[in-house]
Amino acid sequence: MRIVCPFCGERELGEFTYLGDAKPVRPAAGASEDDVFDYVYLRDNIAGETTEHWYHGGGCRAWLKITRNTLTHEISSVEPAAGAGAAKVGA
Amino acid sequence: MAEFSWASRSPLEHALVVGAYGARDVEPGISLTEIRNFELIQVMARRGKGAELARTAKARFGMAAPNVPKAVSASDVTLIWSGPDQFLVLSKGGKHAIDILSEAFSQSASLSDQSHARVLISVSGAKARAMLAKLSSIDLHPAAFPTGTAAATSIDHTSVNLWRGYDRPDGQAVFNLLVFATFAESLWHTMLDAAAEHGAEIGYSEELG
Ligand SMILES: [Zn+2]
Repeated sequence: MRIVCPFCGERELGEFTYLGDAKPVRPAAGASEDDVFDYVYLRDNIAGETTEHWYHGGGCRAWLKITRNTLTHEISSVEPAAGAGAAKVGA
Repeated sequence: MAEFSWASRSPLEHALVVGAYGARDVEPGISLTEIRNFELIQVMARRGKGAELARTAKARFGMAAPNVPKAVSASDVTLIWSGPDQFLVLSKGGKHAIDILSEAFSQSASLSDQSHARVLISVSGAKARAMLAKLSSIDLHPAAFPTGTAAATSIDHTSVNLWRGYDRPDGQAVFNLLVFATFAESLWHTMLDAAAEHGAEIGYSEELG
Protein backbone atom coordinates (compact mmCIF):
# COMPACT_ATOMS: atom_id res chain seq x y z
CA MET A 1 0.00 0.00 0.00
CA ARG A 2 1.19 3.52 -0.79
CA ILE A 3 -0.13 6.85 0.40
CA VAL A 4 0.21 10.09 -1.52
CA CYS A 5 1.10 12.63 1.15
CA PRO A 6 -0.18 16.07 0.10
CA PHE A 7 3.16 17.53 1.21
CA CYS A 8 5.70 14.83 0.25
CA GLY A 9 4.18 12.89 -2.62
CA GLU A 10 3.79 9.12 -2.94
CA ARG A 11 5.37 7.13 -0.10
CA GLU A 12 5.40 3.57 1.16
CA LEU A 13 3.11 2.54 4.01
CA GLY A 14 6.04 2.04 6.40
CA GLU A 15 6.49 5.82 6.72
CA PHE A 16 2.96 6.23 8.10
CA THR A 17 1.22 5.36 11.35
CA TYR A 18 -2.50 4.72 11.65
CA LEU A 19 -4.31 6.59 14.42
CA GLY A 20 -7.95 5.66 13.85
CA ASP A 21 -11.39 6.83 12.85
CA ALA A 22 -11.48 10.53 11.92
CA LYS A 23 -15.22 10.83 12.40
CA PRO A 24 -15.72 11.10 16.19
CA VAL A 25 -15.97 14.70 17.35
CA ARG A 26 -15.19 15.58 20.94
CA PRO A 27 -18.47 16.35 22.74
CA ALA A 28 -18.97 19.78 24.27
CA ALA A 29 -18.21 20.24 27.95
CA GLY A 30 -21.27 19.16 29.90
CA ALA A 31 -22.28 16.52 27.35
CA SER A 32 -24.08 13.45 28.69
CA GLU A 33 -22.16 10.42 29.94
CA ASP A 34 -23.56 8.39 27.03
CA ASP A 35 -22.20 10.88 24.50
CA VAL A 36 -18.75 10.85 26.10
CA PHE A 37 -18.76 7.04 26.33
CA ASP A 38 -19.70 6.89 22.66
CA TYR A 39 -16.90 9.32 21.72
CA VAL A 40 -14.22 7.53 23.72
CA TYR A 41 -15.09 3.86 23.18
CA LEU A 42 -17.58 3.15 20.44
CA ARG A 43 -16.45 2.83 16.86
CA ASP A 44 -18.36 1.90 13.73
CA ASN A 45 -16.96 -1.11 11.90
CA ILE A 46 -17.63 0.05 8.39
CA ALA A 47 -17.48 -2.19 5.31
CA GLY A 48 -16.82 0.49 2.73
CA GLU A 49 -15.58 4.07 2.77
CA THR A 50 -14.21 5.45 6.04
CA THR A 51 -12.22 8.51 7.03
CA GLU A 52 -9.12 7.93 9.12
CA HIS A 53 -6.28 9.87 10.67
CA TRP A 54 -2.76 8.85 9.66
CA TYR A 55 0.58 10.33 10.70
CA HIS A 56 3.46 10.78 8.27
CA GLY A 57 6.00 10.24 11.06
CA GLY A 58 8.66 8.80 8.74
CA GLY A 59 8.42 11.87 6.51
CA CYS A 60 7.10 15.40 7.00
CA ARG A 61 5.44 14.61 10.36
CA ALA A 62 2.09 16.00 9.26
CA TRP A 63 -1.25 14.53 10.33
CA LEU A 64 -3.41 13.49 7.42
CA LYS A 65 -7.09 12.73 6.93
CA ILE A 66 -7.50 9.81 4.57
CA THR A 67 -10.62 8.41 2.94
CA ARG A 68 -10.14 4.67 2.50
CA ASN A 69 -12.40 1.82 1.41
CA THR A 70 -12.03 -1.00 3.94
CA LEU A 71 -13.16 -3.58 1.38
CA THR A 72 -10.67 -2.70 -1.36
CA HIS A 73 -8.08 -0.59 0.53
CA GLU A 74 -8.55 1.98 -2.21
CA ILE A 75 -7.63 5.45 -0.97
CA SER A 76 -9.80 8.06 -2.62
CA SER A 77 -8.52 11.18 -0.87
CA VAL A 78 -5.67 12.38 1.33
CA GLU A 79 -5.79 15.82 2.86
CA PRO A 80 -3.98 17.62 5.68
CA ALA A 81 -5.73 17.12 9.02
CA ALA A 82 -6.92 20.24 10.78
CA GLY A 83 -3.88 22.19 11.98
CA ALA A 84 -1.33 20.44 9.76
CA GLY A 85 0.81 23.24 8.39
CA ALA A 86 0.61 26.42 10.41
CA ALA A 87 0.00 28.54 7.32
CA LYS A 88 -3.11 26.62 6.40
CA VAL A 89 -4.85 27.83 9.54
CA GLY A 90 -5.72 31.48 9.84
CA ALA A 91 -3.39 32.75 7.14
CA MET B 1 34.02 26.53 40.12
CA ALA B 2 35.85 24.08 37.91
CA GLU B 3 36.90 25.38 34.55
CA PHE B 4 35.74 23.35 31.62
CA SER B 5 34.97 23.83 27.96
CA TRP B 6 32.87 21.93 25.47
CA ALA B 7 34.85 20.08 22.86
CA SER B 8 32.63 19.37 19.87
CA ARG B 9 33.09 15.82 18.59
CA SER B 10 31.46 13.97 15.75
CA PRO B 11 28.95 11.23 16.64
CA LEU B 12 30.72 9.23 13.90
CA GLU B 13 34.12 9.70 15.54
CA HIS B 14 34.48 5.96 16.22
CA ALA B 15 32.54 4.51 13.31
CA LEU B 16 34.15 6.54 10.55
CA VAL B 17 37.47 5.13 9.39
CA VAL B 18 39.11 7.23 6.69
CA GLY B 19 40.23 5.31 3.61
CA ALA B 20 38.97 2.55 1.37
CA TYR B 21 36.11 0.26 2.35
CA GLY B 22 34.66 -2.84 0.70
CA ALA B 23 35.58 -4.18 -2.71
CA ARG B 24 39.24 -3.45 -3.51
CA ASP B 25 39.50 -4.82 -7.04
CA VAL B 26 37.40 -2.01 -8.52
CA GLU B 27 37.53 1.77 -8.81
CA PRO B 28 35.64 3.03 -5.73
CA GLY B 29 32.06 3.58 -6.91
CA ILE B 30 31.00 5.59 -3.89
CA SER B 31 32.31 8.48 -1.83
CA LEU B 32 30.93 8.64 1.69
CA THR B 33 31.87 11.91 3.37
CA GLU B 34 30.79 13.22 6.72
CA ILE B 35 30.55 17.03 6.79
CA ARG B 36 31.55 18.38 10.20
CA ASN B 37 31.16 21.69 12.04
CA PHE B 38 28.08 23.28 10.50
CA GLU B 39 25.24 25.35 11.86
CA LEU B 40 21.77 23.95 11.42
CA ILE B 41 18.61 25.72 12.56
CA GLN B 42 15.08 24.34 12.35
CA VAL B 43 12.58 27.11 11.53
CA MET B 44 8.85 26.43 11.94
CA ALA B 45 6.10 28.97 11.30
CA ARG B 46 3.88 29.82 14.23
CA ARG B 47 0.19 29.23 13.73
CA GLY B 48 -1.17 31.60 11.13
CA LYS B 49 2.27 33.14 10.46
CA GLY B 50 3.25 31.20 7.33
CA ALA B 51 3.00 34.21 5.02
CA GLU B 52 4.94 36.42 7.43
CA LEU B 53 7.66 33.79 7.78
CA ALA B 54 7.95 33.57 3.98
CA ARG B 55 8.41 37.36 3.75
CA THR B 56 10.95 37.47 6.57
CA ALA B 57 12.92 34.55 5.13
CA LYS B 58 13.14 36.19 1.73
CA ALA B 59 14.40 39.43 3.25
CA ARG B 60 16.89 37.58 5.44
CA PHE B 61 18.35 35.11 2.91
CA GLY B 62 17.75 36.97 -0.35
CA MET B 63 15.77 34.04 -1.72
CA ALA B 64 12.42 32.42 -0.98
CA ALA B 65 12.44 29.54 1.50
CA PRO B 66 11.15 26.39 -0.19
CA ASN B 67 7.45 25.63 0.41
CA VAL B 68 7.65 22.32 -1.49
CA PRO B 69 10.23 19.52 -1.07
CA LYS B 70 13.25 21.39 -2.42
CA ALA B 71 16.56 22.75 -1.21
CA VAL B 72 17.78 26.16 -2.35
CA SER B 73 21.26 27.58 -1.95
CA ALA B 74 22.95 30.96 -1.87
CA SER B 75 26.68 31.46 -1.43
CA ASP B 76 26.54 31.27 2.37
CA VAL B 77 23.42 29.22 3.19
CA THR B 78 21.21 26.32 2.11
CA LEU B 79 17.50 26.22 2.97
CA ILE B 80 16.06 22.73 3.06
CA TRP B 81 12.31 22.03 3.13
CA SER B 82 11.47 19.73 6.05
CA GLY B 83 7.66 19.79 6.14
CA PRO B 84 4.73 22.15 5.72
CA ASP B 85 5.66 25.67 6.90
CA GLN B 86 9.09 24.61 8.10
CA PHE B 87 12.61 24.44 6.78
CA LEU B 88 16.20 23.91 7.89
CA VAL B 89 18.90 26.56 7.62
CA LEU B 90 22.30 25.02 6.93
CA SER B 91 25.35 27.27 7.05
CA LYS B 92 28.82 27.76 8.42
CA GLY B 93 30.76 30.52 10.13
CA GLY B 94 28.14 32.00 12.44
CA LYS B 95 26.32 34.34 10.07
CA HIS B 96 23.08 32.34 10.38
CA ALA B 97 23.55 31.05 13.93
CA ILE B 98 20.63 30.64 16.31
CA ASP B 99 21.02 33.92 18.22
CA ILE B 100 21.01 35.96 15.02
CA LEU B 101 18.13 34.10 13.36
CA SER B 102 16.07 34.12 16.57
CA GLU B 103 15.95 37.88 16.38
CA ALA B 104 15.09 37.96 12.69
CA PHE B 105 12.25 35.46 13.06
CA SER B 106 11.01 36.40 16.52
CA GLN B 107 7.59 37.47 15.20
CA SER B 108 6.86 34.62 12.83
CA ALA B 109 8.56 31.35 13.72
CA SER B 110 9.83 29.03 16.41
CA LEU B 111 13.50 28.09 16.05
CA SER B 112 15.52 25.22 17.37
CA ASP B 113 19.28 24.80 17.10
CA GLN B 114 20.08 21.40 15.56
CA SER B 115 23.78 22.08 14.87
CA HIS B 116 24.99 19.34 17.20
CA ALA B 117 21.85 17.21 16.96
CA ARG B 118 22.32 15.99 13.40
CA VAL B 119 25.01 14.37 11.35
CA LEU B 120 25.46 15.42 7.73
CA ILE B 121 26.57 12.72 5.30
CA SER B 122 27.29 13.32 1.64
CA VAL B 123 27.01 10.39 -0.78
CA SER B 124 28.31 10.60 -4.33
CA GLY B 125 30.01 8.58 -7.04
CA ALA B 126 29.04 6.47 -10.01
CA LYS B 127 27.33 3.86 -7.80
CA ALA B 128 25.76 6.26 -5.27
CA ARG B 129 22.27 5.86 -6.68
CA ALA B 130 22.60 2.05 -6.87
CA MET B 131 23.62 2.00 -3.23
CA LEU B 132 20.86 4.36 -2.05
CA ALA B 133 18.30 2.32 -3.99
CA LYS B 134 18.91 -0.50 -1.51
CA LEU B 135 18.05 1.79 1.39
CA SER B 136 15.38 4.18 0.16
CA SER B 137 12.13 3.68 -1.73
CA ILE B 138 12.37 7.16 -3.26
CA ASP B 139 13.12 7.35 -6.97
CA LEU B 140 16.47 9.13 -7.20
CA HIS B 141 16.75 9.00 -11.00
CA PRO B 142 17.78 12.44 -12.31
CA ALA B 143 14.43 12.77 -14.09
CA ALA B 144 12.54 12.30 -10.81
CA PHE B 145 15.04 13.77 -8.35
CA PRO B 146 16.99 16.57 -10.06
CA THR B 147 19.47 18.90 -8.32
CA GLY B 148 17.67 20.82 -5.59
CA THR B 149 15.07 18.15 -4.85
CA ALA B 150 14.56 17.37 -1.15
CA ALA B 151 12.66 14.73 0.79
CA ALA B 152 11.78 14.11 4.41
CA THR B 153 11.82 10.34 4.46
CA SER B 154 13.04 7.24 6.29
CA ILE B 155 16.04 5.05 5.61
CA ASP B 156 16.32 1.83 7.57
CA HIS B 157 13.46 3.06 9.83
CA THR B 158 15.45 6.18 10.62
CA SER B 159 14.14 9.65 9.78
CA VAL B 160 16.37 11.58 7.41
CA ASN B 161 16.32 14.78 5.41
CA LEU B 162 17.66 13.94 2.01
CA TRP B 163 18.43 16.37 -0.79
CA ARG B 164 20.40 16.46 -4.00
CA GLY B 165 23.08 19.15 -3.93
CA TYR B 166 25.16 20.54 -6.74
CA ASP B 167 26.96 17.91 -8.83
CA ARG B 168 30.63 17.19 -8.21
CA PRO B 169 33.13 18.77 -10.62
CA ASP B 170 33.27 15.41 -12.43
CA GLY B 171 29.50 15.57 -13.02
CA GLN B 172 28.50 12.95 -10.44
CA ALA B 173 25.33 13.60 -8.46
CA VAL B 174 25.68 14.41 -4.76
CA PHE B 175 23.08 13.26 -2.24
CA ASN B 176 23.14 14.91 1.19
CA LEU B 177 21.60 13.31 4.21
CA LEU B 178 20.86 14.72 7.65
CA VAL B 179 20.23 12.15 10.37
CA PHE B 180 19.67 12.44 14.12
CA ALA B 181 23.04 12.25 15.91
CA THR B 182 22.13 9.23 18.03
CA PHE B 183 20.99 7.28 14.94
CA ALA B 184 23.97 8.27 12.83
CA GLU B 185 26.27 5.40 13.76
CA SER B 186 23.59 2.80 13.05
CA LEU B 187 22.75 4.37 9.70
CA TRP B 188 26.45 4.70 8.88
CA HIS B 189 26.96 0.96 9.29
CA THR B 190 23.90 0.26 7.15
CA MET B 191 25.32 2.55 4.48
CA LEU B 192 28.72 0.87 4.65
CA ASP B 193 27.06 -2.52 4.12
CA ALA B 194 25.17 -1.18 1.13
CA ALA B 195 28.31 0.42 -0.32
CA ALA B 196 30.72 -2.48 0.23
CA GLU B 197 30.13 -4.30 -3.06
CA HIS B 198 30.86 -1.13 -5.04
CA GLY B 199 33.96 -0.12 -3.11
CA ALA B 200 33.80 3.10 -1.10
CA GLU B 201 36.10 5.98 -0.33
CA ILE B 202 35.47 7.13 3.25
CA GLY B 203 36.35 10.56 4.56
CA TYR B 204 35.25 13.67 6.34
CA SER B 205 35.34 17.31 5.48
CA GLU B 206 34.75 20.71 7.02
CA GLU B 207 33.43 22.12 3.74
CA LEU B 208 29.74 22.44 2.95
CA GLY B 209 29.21 21.31 -0.65
ZN1 LIG C 1 4.47 13.90 4.27
